[in-house]
Amino acid sequence: MAHGHKSNEKVIYVGDSRVRKPKAVGSDTIPPDYTAFPGKSEAFIPNFLLKEWMVGCVALVGFLVLTIAEPAPLGYPADPTNAAFIPMPDWYFLFLYQFLKYPYASGNYVAFGILGVPGVAFAALLLAPFLDTGKERRFYRRPIASSLMVLSLFSLFYLTKVSWDHYEHELALTNTIPEHHLREEKAREEWEKTQANGGVPVEEAVVPIVDKDDPAMEIVKANCVACHATDLKGNEGAGVPALTGVGDVHSKEELVEIVTNGLGGGKMPAFGERLSAEEIDQLTTWLAKQKKAE
Amino acid sequence: MLKNVYNWIDERLDITPLWRDVADHEVPEHVNPAHHFSAFVYCFGGLTFFITVIQILSGMFLTMYFVPDILNAYKSVDYLQHKVAFGGIVRGMHHWGASLVLVMMFLHTLRVFFTGSYKAPREMNWVVGMLIFFVMLGLGFTGYLLPWDNKAYFATKVGMQIAEAVPIIGPYVKELLQGGDIIGAETLTRFFAIHVFFLPGALLALLGAHFIMIRRQGISGPL
Amino acid sequence: MSNHDQEKNHRPVKRNEMSRRQFLSYTLGGATAFMAAGVTLPMIRFAVDPILKKKSESTWVKVVEEAKVTNEPQEFKFNIHQIDGWYVSDPEQTAWITKDEQGNYFALSPVCKHLGCTIGWNTEKNNEYVCPCHGAHYTMDGKNLSVAPKPLDEYDLKVESGWIYLGPIKANTRV
Repeated sequence: MAHGHKSNEKVIYVGDSRVRKPKAVGSDTIPPDYTAFPGKSEAFIPNFLLKEWMVGCVALVGFLVLTIAEPAPLGYPADPTNAAFIPMPDWYFLFLYQFLKYPYASGNYVAFGILGVPGVAFAALLLAPFLDTGKERRFYRRPIASSLMVLSLFSLFYLTKVSWDHYEHELALTNTIPEHHLREEKAREEWEKTQANGGVPVEEAVVPIVDKDDPAMEIVKANCVACHATDLKGNEGAGVPALTGVGDVHSKEELVEIVTNGLGGGKMPAFGERLSAEEIDQLTTWLAKQKKAE
Repeated sequence: MLKNVYNWIDERLDITPLWRDVADHEVPEHVNPAHHFSAFVYCFGGLTFFITVIQILSGMFLTMYFVPDILNAYKSVDYLQHKVAFGGIVRGMHHWGASLVLVMMFLHTLRVFFTGSYKAPREMNWVVGMLIFFVMLGLGFTGYLLPWDNKAYFATKVGMQIAEAVPIIGPYVKELLQGGDIIGAETLTRFFAIHVFFLPGALLALLGAHFIMIRRQGISGPL
Repeated sequence: MSNHDQEKNHRPVKRNEMSRRQFLSYTLGGATAFMAAGVTLPMIRFAVDPILKKKSESTWVKVVEEAKVTNEPQEFKFNIHQIDGWYVSDPEQTAWITKDEQGNYFALSPVCKHLGCTIGWNTEKNNEYVCPCHGAHYTMDGKNLSVAPKPLDEYDLKVESGWIYLGPIKANTRV
């Protein structure tokens, strides 16, 4: 973008500025307008704004396509006791999140980790004009400022990527599907059901506990409610199924098998050693009765 | 008719110079992508503002359904996203807009940095711009908690631990943000107030200052 | 008509060519409108959704045995299932149910048509519904006698195997 006027490396600020500036160009008193300079300037409205709006329209269409194609994620309700959840901050904080995992930025050094590096970096960024006071504007003639910025950019991208890779690795390791995907799937199914029902939402019938006073309830209280909840509705967010209505899903034989040997690689623990055979029999007989009322 | 109304107001308030100044100023060649395609880098500031407007509008509409309460926040977000027509789109606009506004602002900042546009006499505008950046990050952080799902809860927990680790003031900052000992009902209402009233108020004031300074100083000259 | 008039005071055809500036201004206006619409239309549809939502079909609620209803209005409570956005509840409703001379049952809403207070039967011993707030009076059929501008609303009612079922509220059909 070389221009007609003398390019003698002196910074010459031009613009239709009303800020008085030293006699760089033109008259001393009236600040020059861009019209006074070589080059094809044009009016803001309508000429220039139209061009900017064109870019805006393209951006808007792209943006709307994104919002339609990719719904905003929503997981399950916050549950402070959920130990399986892998917490992740928003992507734009990942670099900081990752940085604070490193040895000299965590533990006893966490103050240094926060104030020493990101704190100084952000303060420097905030005060950049007062640190980089030279007249030169071209980045390749400001090697210190530019290289510091490039270095920071590189570390930002690097830290973000490492953090994300680590997250993906952990997801694969624990065999977890991010819950907002599961939730989205469920919402879609529900929507389809609603459509099939002529646009009227289908209400999930609440399945009551069958035969509450059965002595097997004592075994349930002692062993099952810790995970399956006191109302036996399970915990959707943590992937614990409800016991109400379980008789519709599994037969008694299957239930005996599940209770005795567990399920899902230890997610459902094996009770074969903790409960006697009679107890398991009593329990599964009762569980098999847990069917939806007709 | 409209002209008469305009003239009537103009006679009294002399509003013409206000918008004439914005409308008629000349835009130089070096920022005009029609002349130099590389000048598209000058678009990011405008796009940031455009997406900010989308954020403000979609946020206003979302509060028609949203309740900042730990029992109902999730239910109301779930309702507006899945049961209200276009709810997914409006929430999507707000969610993705939050990311996009940061991307655009990041690119805008880099443009200003690498063209050295923050140098005298525009130092103040750079500082204001950086403050806008911090306010936007704050908006992102406080907005994340509001749906009250697991992601919101645990991400905020991480953020709080980072805040707490700041020496001396950290624990106080954390407690002030949390409004109590745990992340719970009081945190949610606080974050809501900060997200919807305090930070947007600060944002509007800073944006106003940013734009006034741009008009006073004009855009930085060509390299 | 006006076209005709213009043709009469015939003037030489003047070609109104658009200036470049005008053209740009119109295009700018169009682009602005497109962007404004693209941004706000989804939000407006989102905001007006309650108006456009399909009203859920109301269901009949079993209220009381036929035999219990007499010629004297009696107050009966029943619960309806209400879905209010994300809030699902079973609020209690009240109806005054009476059998008329022909043996037809009818149920009146206890909400006064004046300013929405709750009416009571025969509280002034004159065989009328009385509203305690501003003294509105209604007959047994719900006809407004004083103060209130309209008769009391009525519930849809049906009798099935000895039980009275109530449906949605409608305007009074008896007066």
